[in-house]
Amino acid sequence: MCKRKMIQWMTLLFCMAGALALMPVTASAQFRPKDTEWPSYAADLAGTRYRPLDQINASNFSDLEIAWRIKTDNFGDRPEYKLEGTPLMVNGVLYATAGSRRAVIALDPATGELLWIHGEHEGKRGGAAPRQLSGRGLAYWSDGKEERILYVTPGFRLICLDAKSGVRVPSFGQNGAVDLKLNDDQDIFPDLETGEIGIQSAPVVARNTVIIGAAFREGMTPKSMRNNKGYVRGFDVRTGKRLWVFHTIPKKGEFGYDTWEKGSAEYTGNTGVWTQITVDEQLGLVYLPVESPTSDFYGGHRPGNNLFGETLVCVDLKTGERKWHFQLVHHPLWDMDISSAPILADITFGGKPVKAVAQPSKQGFLYVFDRVTGKPIWPMPEKPVEVGNVPGEWYSPTQPIPSKPAAYSRNGVSIDDLIDFTPALRERAKQIASKYHLGPVYTPPTESQLEGPLGTLTMGTASGGTNWPGGSYDPETHNVYVYACNSCIEPIGLVPPPKEVSDLRYIAGTAGKEVQILHGPGENAGADSPRPPKKRAGSEYVPLNLDGLPLVKPPYGTITAINLDKGEFVWQIAHGETPDVVRNSEALKGLNIPRTGQETYNVGTLVTKTLVIAGEGHVTTTADHPRGAMLRAYDKATGKEVGAVYMPAPQTGSPMTYIVNGKQYIVVAVSGGPYSGEYIAYTLPAAGE
Amino acid sequence: MRKAACIASLAVMLSSICILRAQTPAPESRSVWDGVYTEEQAKRGEPVYHKECAACHGDMLTGGESAPPLTGGAFLANWNGLTMGDLFDRIRKTMPQSAPGRLTRQQNADILAFMLNVNKFPAGKTELYRQSEMLKEIRFESAKPVLKK
Repeated sequence: MCKRKMIQWMTLLFCMAGALALMPVTASAQFRPKDTEWPSYAADLAGTRYRPLDQINASNFSDLEIAWRIKTDNFGDRPEYKLEGTPLMVNGVLYATAGSRRAVIALDPATGELLWIHGEHEGKRGGAAPRQLSGRGLAYWSDGKEERILYVTPGFRLICLDAKSGVRVPSFGQNGAVDLKLNDDQDIFPDLETGEIGIQSAPVVARNTVIIGAAFREGMTPKSMRNNKGYVRGFDVRTGKRLWVFHTIPKKGEFGYDTWEKGSAEYTGNTGVWTQITVDEQLGLVYLPVESPTSDFYGGHRPGNNLFGETLVCVDLKTGERKWHFQLVHHPLWDMDISSAPILADITFGGKPVKAVAQPSKQGFLYVFDRVTGKPIWPMPEKPVEVGNVPGEWYSPTQPIPSKPAAYSRNGVSIDDLIDFTPALRERAKQIASKYHLGPVYTPPTESQLEGPLGTLTMGTASGGTNWPGGSYDPETHNVYVYACNSCIEPIGLVPPPKEVSDLRYIAGTAGKEVQILHGPGENAGADSPRPPKKRAGSEYVPLNLDGLPLVKPPYGTITAINLDKGEFVWQIAHGETPDVVRNSEALKGLNIPRTGQETYNVGTLVTKTLVIAGEGHVTTTADHPRGAMLRAYDKATGKEVGAVYMPAPQTGSPMTYIVNGKQYIVVAVSGGPYSGEYIAYTLPAAGE
Repeated sequence: MRKAACIASLAVMLSSICILRAQTPAPESRSVWDGVYTEEQAKRGEPVYHKECAACHGDMLTGGESAPPLTGGAFLANWNGLTMGDLFDRIRKTMPQSAPGRLTRQQNADILAFMLNVNKFPAGKTELYRQSEMLKEIRFESAKPVLKK
């Protein structure tokens, strides 16, 4: 157990006094979030990232200026370069997680003034956490009288704070904290301090239930086929008492246990819900996007379809009991997870209103279901897929393929996909590709061989398509707006590891590379004495780019508007300035290349009354702006760009918006490369300026 | 008279030398295209990379879900126009994520040499510096310069 030294660093009395003075006295009515607020991570529990605000619009977007900004360097013992949070703004206060300690900060949403800060010093438990840094955000709850902030620390403890002061609520759990490594229907091994389990997403509070999933280390090269399991739990927001648990890997006797052959449900782990959870409070239903089981790319130790791995599961909000499920990928082998929040959409299908749920994915399919019954809106027939030949692997001969909408991002690699700006580049690309096994979505991983293939080259795997930022939904037009990486390629090769490295028969790797004990975050043994590599002849690094040019054709990153009444694209655009390495390439001199978009996977969108807003994931330096990235606005009806504003670093957390004192603000998290985390709030210049 | 002329000539010569010195441009600053690490150093950095970095950044440096790629467009975009000092300090101060600052300057320099090698920046005859201030004199340029002296 870690030393729970709670520090209200600066939960300073003067800050408390200031906060109390600034808090509007509005706690008498029942809590009803307003359209001008942003009360939960994705704006609402439906995962829409939509607010019907229009003060900032096509006519003035480019006039936006910085209202305030706050660096997160001091909210931890070191700066953070991966700030992924989306703040909340409710009842006149902005709340966010920030910094390498995952502190919670409360700010004046008009000025950025710090009202209070809360941090937890978790010692070794925090240092050993599989998901560190500031995470993606927090949750707000109020019964009209009390206001609470809930978040999960890197060391996997659920903390409940008084939203007015930042002080723990003593009546919740144990003095304001619930140890999430306990009471989980499993013993977290090896111990509570170092046991691998955590979460980086924001908690969800629906009615009076807090819902928490679980996350683990990267699953490419696990040390063992055994790991802790990622169950999902509901807790009472008033007391912290556990209300229910959903076993994402069924226990013996439960539905789905027989999809884990040879007793593999007993020892297989992971299979958590690390991304955002969505809730329909009216229906009392929770939508759980479940990730991959152990390990990401080799499933020989878990024969069978492996429910509820990579499955969208609908459970009852009160009890956690399963209502329906749909497995997007049988026997997962590609690290597709389900990477983002399901989106709830009330659509019109066949002339009738339908309560739907739409699930973006890494594989570029938007899976759309009736969210009451789980029945696909458009058929998703099982289609044959390639069966591989990795020794010991178990393969599903089919996978469900949505008939509509069409895939909105590239989800396979063929010769036709390779760069073709010039014949010379195409030839070089073909040479690189010849070392791999190419194929469409669900082409299985291969054993890496020096003589080839080095691995499988497909897309829609680890960082393709849509990742954790997810999509947006516009209830006015019934359109989903979703960013996708159209060029993020990681080859999947498998190598047999030495026994001292892993007890799996295969882990991710490349032939000719020394298989090392790969240490993830939190592991630090034997750092200063690296062993020399035992390289075999012929080993080489084959960059999947040509002097920085992506191996595949543009667009490298896109935003697609998909109408859910029809299941059809409304528009699709390349998002992001053409990268410097493409724009300045000697090999491409004289060619007229339209905007390519960018090769990045962590771009989230915001939808307003008229705009779709998203920042760039790369920095560029152009004639129009110095080194930096742009926050861009598109006409949501057409996809035409209508404005852009400069950011000093790429967007790394999805933008949000609100109105306070009659003015609309947009807040976005930026960081990356040499630029440490910063929240920046934009607003329009004062009248007359 | 002759003596005076000699002194005057000497003065002219000296001043010319001074002028010449003053007009001599400072040594051209270097970029990652100028061979700023050695093959040997990159080889030394490879196992350190695999031990300390590959779990998150991938054994082919292609990145993962929680860590960016260290090769290709995204990597080059992040650092283009900055210096090796900026990149070195970022590694030194924040990596590995579990225990930043745990690796020695030499190990960090070796890892960086390995990364440059994988990204096809040319090796040279001298090892990459271990001092941030000196590394700040080496520009990171994603595009290969057209004319090389």
